[in-house]
Amino acid sequence: MIFLTTVASFFEGLGKRHRLLPWLLAYVALLPLPFILTALFSEYLIDLANRACLFILLAVGLNIVKGFCGQVTVGHIGLYAIGAVTSGVLALEPGGFGGALGFGLPVWVAIPIAVLVTAFAGLIVGLPSVRLEGAYLALATLGLGESVRIFIAVTPALGSSTGLMMIPSPSIGSFVFDDFTSYYYLVMTAAVIGIYFSFAILKSATGRAFQAIREDTIAASVNGINVVKYKLLAFVLSAIYAGLAGALFAHMPPGYLHHNNFTIIEMVTLLLMVVLGGIGNVWGGVLGAIVVTIAYDQTKDLVIYFMDRPIIIQPIVFGLSMVFLVLFMPRGIGGWLEGFQRNRRFVRRSEEKLDGAARNS
Amino acid sequence: MALLETRNLSKSFGGLQAIDSVSLKIEPNTVHGLIGPNGSGKSTFFNLLTGVYQPDPGSHIEFNNVNITNKPAHFIAEQGLARTFQLLRLYGELSVLDNVLVGFHPHTNYSPLAPFFNGAEVRRQDKIVKDEMFELLEFIGLADHAEIPAAELSGGQRRLLALGRAIAMRPKMLLLDEPGAGLSPVNVDNLMATIMTLKERYNLTIVVVEHILKVVMSTCDTISVLDHGQKISEGTPEFVKNDPAVIEAYLGREMADEDIRAAMDA
Repeated sequence: MIFLTTVASFFEGLGKRHRLLPWLLAYVALLPLPFILTALFSEYLIDLANRACLFILLAVGLNIVKGFCGQVTVGHIGLYAIGAVTSGVLALEPGGFGGALGFGLPVWVAIPIAVLVTAFAGLIVGLPSVRLEGAYLALATLGLGESVRIFIAVTPALGSSTGLMMIPSPSIGSFVFDDFTSYYYLVMTAAVIGIYFSFAILKSATGRAFQAIREDTIAASVNGINVVKYKLLAFVLSAIYAGLAGALFAHMPPGYLHHNNFTIIEMVTLLLMVVLGGIGNVWGGVLGAIVVTIAYDQTKDLVIYFMDRPIIIQPIVFGLSMVFLVLFMPRGIGGWLEGFQRNRRFVRRSEEKLDGAARNS
Repeated sequence: MALLETRNLSKSFGGLQAIDSVSLKIEPNTVHGLIGPNGSGKSTFFNLLTGVYQPDPGSHIEFNNVNITNKPAHFIAEQGLARTFQLLRLYGELSVLDNVLVGFHPHTNYSPLAPFFNGAEVRRQDKIVKDEMFELLEFIGLADHAEIPAAELSGGQRRLLALGRAIAMRPKMLLLDEPGAGLSPVNVDNLMATIMTLKERYNLTIVVVEHILKVVMSTCDTISVLDHGQKISEGTPEFVKNDPAVIEAYLGREMADEDIRAAMDA
């Protein structure tokens, strides 16, 4: 608790000097992470950190549509898949393995196009939100997301059951981002920038409009907010995050994509991150993404034997965690953080008032 | 020239005629009362004006010389028509300051994507707007609670915030749906005093639905009476108070004259 207070005060002080200072410091502090991980544990953990960064992008993006704007979407992983496969196919050389499509575009061209395509797909996923709410919207988006995966699974041009292989790595000049450590700098930078812009949206009129729609759609429309426009915008913005995460995933070493990476289990994992983090709280989502990525990795090979038959218990663990979270911690880590911040503000205001009174007497 | 005019405004829900060809004119800079028994269509009337409901074909609504019939709610809000709700509909999890900032939304001067491309401009404008909204909060007496979530305010403070959120829209006309509901008599008087000050300060035209007849009689320039979706009477408070049609709608046929006076003056 005292540690948190110190850290928060420190960053607040920095933020007062210059808005970007805390971000720069956090960025610099994250730079040596791969070397620390290699020294203390193993190189494999860098790959895990890279995945965590991608999931941070996904969770922060999902938070925009679900947390800020209150639209329940379960199709986010489908957008991630669209970003990944589009970027992969665009960058692959023509005449690839197993009849996969290839356009041979430079990676740095493929990624922005993939992001744009995903943004457009996000618009389509968002269309049902004009008419549907809550569980019905969840069902509609679930259908869309799952149909993307099935489409990839049955289309040889997109990899089908063998997947896309040998997707090229991005490079700058002669430097190629083809190992875990170099790729870490790419995804970590993307994650930090993604978090920064998520706050920029939240603190602008756009973010306030999203939240107003979440809190009360009728009041929002009477306050002059074009509800349809802002709902769709939330879907498109979150799709941009998902598209970027997907594209970066496609080019990540070893450059291999399979439709199994985009199943409903992945979607539930992603939801777990956002719920654990506290719906609507950006830092909570980031923490949730990190914690769940590590938990996912640690429970991956967890098997118990029942009457000499192996049972993979990861889905059970994750499903139960979800149930317990919703029951006992519905506001997640973020809710706890917010309460903490509010108490701090309250204490500070009271102190200021006391100071003022002391000076006046 | 009337600021708001409805012609043959009708709305039916299935077989129920909630509003039955109401024609009404509201003059600028007046306080116009809208009264009627429960279920007479007052709230529906507000919902039709602000675009929450779409009126039946043949209806016509004009505000500030703009046809707002069948226009979406956000368009009508942009024209300068603001309202409060009977059940307030505050943004409970947003801070008090954010609630009024959302009210200011129609006047936001940057594009929704500006946070990505022009953060400096967003911060510059938001700072100016926040100062302005803080002033508004000081005026209605909520500045000390600016950072608190709206859901944590007391009942009276919530009513003030609902009013502040509507004022933040810088409207030409303000529709108040039972602003005094659930308040003690003293608080109602205070609230009405605040509303009248706001009217002068921001040059507003006010339409008020209220069940507390004392409030309506003392503050309104003109009163329209609705019953079963129809306008049954209209005029000065004195005229409406003595109109037999109104007395019948409120109290039934057999009520003695003295009882009516007593009820009206209570």
